[in-house]
Amino acid sequence: MNRNLSRALAALALSAAVALPALAGAYPLQVARNVMIYMALAVTWDMLLRSGQISFGIAGLFGLGAYAAVLGVLRAGMPAWLSIPFAALFSGLVALLIGFFILRLRAMYFSIVTLALAEIFRIVIHNLHDFTGGPEGVVLQGVIAGGDAGKLYWLALAGLAAALAASWWFENSRIHFALTAIRNNETSAKSSGVDIFRWLLVAFVVTSSIQGLLGGIYAHSFGFATPESVFDANFTLLPLAMALLGGIHSTVGPVLGAVLLGLAAEWLKLKLPYGHLVVYGVIIIVVILFMPQGLLGMARKAARPAERRTA
Amino acid sequence: MAMKPRAAALAALGLAAAASIALWKPTVLIYGVQQAGLYAAIAIPMGLVLGIVHIVNLAHGDFMMVAAYATYFACKASGMDPLVAALPTAAVTAALGWVVYRLTIRKALKAPELNQLILTFGLGIALSQGVNLLFTSQTRKISLDYVSASLSLGELSFGVWSFVFVAVAVLYAYGLKLFLTRTTTGKAALAVGQNPRGAAIVGIDVDRTYGLVFALALALVGGMGALFLTKSAIFPGVGGPFTMKSFCLVAMAGIGNIPGILGASLLLGLSESFLRAFRGLRGWADIVFFVLIIAVILGRSIKWRKS
Repeated sequence: MNRNLSRALAALALSAAVALPALAGAYPLQVARNVMIYMALAVTWDMLLRSGQISFGIAGLFGLGAYAAVLGVLRAGMPAWLSIPFAALFSGLVALLIGFFILRLRAMYFSIVTLALAEIFRIVIHNLHDFTGGPEGVVLQGVIAGGDAGKLYWLALAGLAAALAASWWFENSRIHFALTAIRNNETSAKSSGVDIFRWLLVAFVVTSSIQGLLGGIYAHSFGFATPESVFDANFTLLPLAMALLGGIHSTVGPVLGAVLLGLAAEWLKLKLPYGHLVVYGVIIIVVILFMPQGLLGMARKAARPAERRTA
Repeated sequence: MAMKPRAAALAALGLAAAASIALWKPTVLIYGVQQAGLYAAIAIPMGLVLGIVHIVNLAHGDFMMVAAYATYFACKASGMDPLVAALPTAAVTAALGWVVYRLTIRKALKAPELNQLILTFGLGIALSQGVNLLFTSQTRKISLDYVSASLSLGELSFGVWSFVFVAVAVLYAYGLKLFLTRTTTGKAALAVGQNPRGAAIVGIDVDRTYGLVFALALALVGGMGALFLTKSAIFPGVGGPFTMKSFCLVAMAGIGNIPGILGASLLLGLSESFLRAFRGLRGWADIVFFVLIIAVILGRSIKWRKS
């Protein structure tokens, strides 16, 4: 695509996104907030995927961030605005700590361990009754910014911006080459002097702290956190389906997938009270079987058929 | 090479621990063994698929859930006992397994491992959410008289029905072992598991064998689904946790080591039941398994690096 055109489109999308509260009512804003949180999670999941590592533990770091933010306010007396970066810091530190052990694992072993860790986080929070409120969770005195729909929307937008900025940085710096080399062939990456473990750790810590940040934003915009609400498996599942549908290994793909699936899910939720998530399962299956490159990959293929065939 | 004496020492240690638990609180031992039987019977089919088709089936527990739902509705409609329904259910899930293999798994066999993982993950979601869509998340249960049968030995009284899971687990493990070593089809499956290309060269239909093994595993899971219904209430998410537990047990036993799953299940079942015996620790019993899985995987990764 023409570079100037894509810049103009991005600027247009940005100004529309910032100005949305002036144009839309409370319900569209809430839908937009949800979609943005999932979109940001999808982008962070994809950022780690660019190194070839599949994490099934998004919900774990998201939930930790949510609890860090709420408990920071309730137990440590932090102001609400400070507790959100604190959530990011906390999830990042946890990721740094566990990363030292689990980033030596590969393929399914890494994935399964991230899934197990997410469960461990949930069970620990569930069982520390005195500190975390146990299964009932913790409730804040009030929602951040007095629950003003526009401000909550901008808060979520800021979280999304953080994810997109990090993803852009990953795409346009040395990290991009390091992660791509690791994904393609670790042996050849190593022999070209790529410090595999270090770059994986950077990617894991950055994505985890953004996931924690989003958890903090999420918890603050509802004013409470319970183990079941913030460690919900959907926070792993939906971003995964969104990124796969849109097209992995890019920023645009997960964003596109999140817009499509987020709006579709919102509509389906109204039509089907139970099991509307079946659509996500089917999408994952269909994408893996028939279009592993996602919508973005199909669009590229359609745009350049000749080049594709020779490649 | 030093495996044999170490295994013997471990077994002795385990026996000693079991004996001391038995003296202290016999019910802990009994319920631990029963739970272990349930875990093992569900994990063994996953071990079969992982050992031969080399696919981690993340939809494993959800297939069991589907089998339990099928049994539930068959029993409600015809007044049949779930035990009687176990065999027809197994036949139905075997057919389902064959279809799922032909339509999805087969196409992802050549794809990177990660694609297979995501594919079965998606299958699991489609199954559990599909059931949720059709039958809502309401819990369902069939009450049966014989399930509450109990046995009293002196002052000790405990439920005996769950020993059926232990019996099924042992039956599955040794039945499969016989199948894989004594029958032609079984030997072919074993050969395919060890080296698909070599097996194809000597004239084994690899694709068909994979399909058969997958269908067989699902038949075993289906039978377990029917049995599971006798004891527990079911809801769409009931199978999910068993997927993780099964994978953990298979990884602990070592891929391809089906009787080893029995030992691994015993360890998991007993430690959970041990923690549940303390009032204050009850909530932590669930964590044992997740800690165990991470310890096993990290431990094995260190071993791999050495070799």
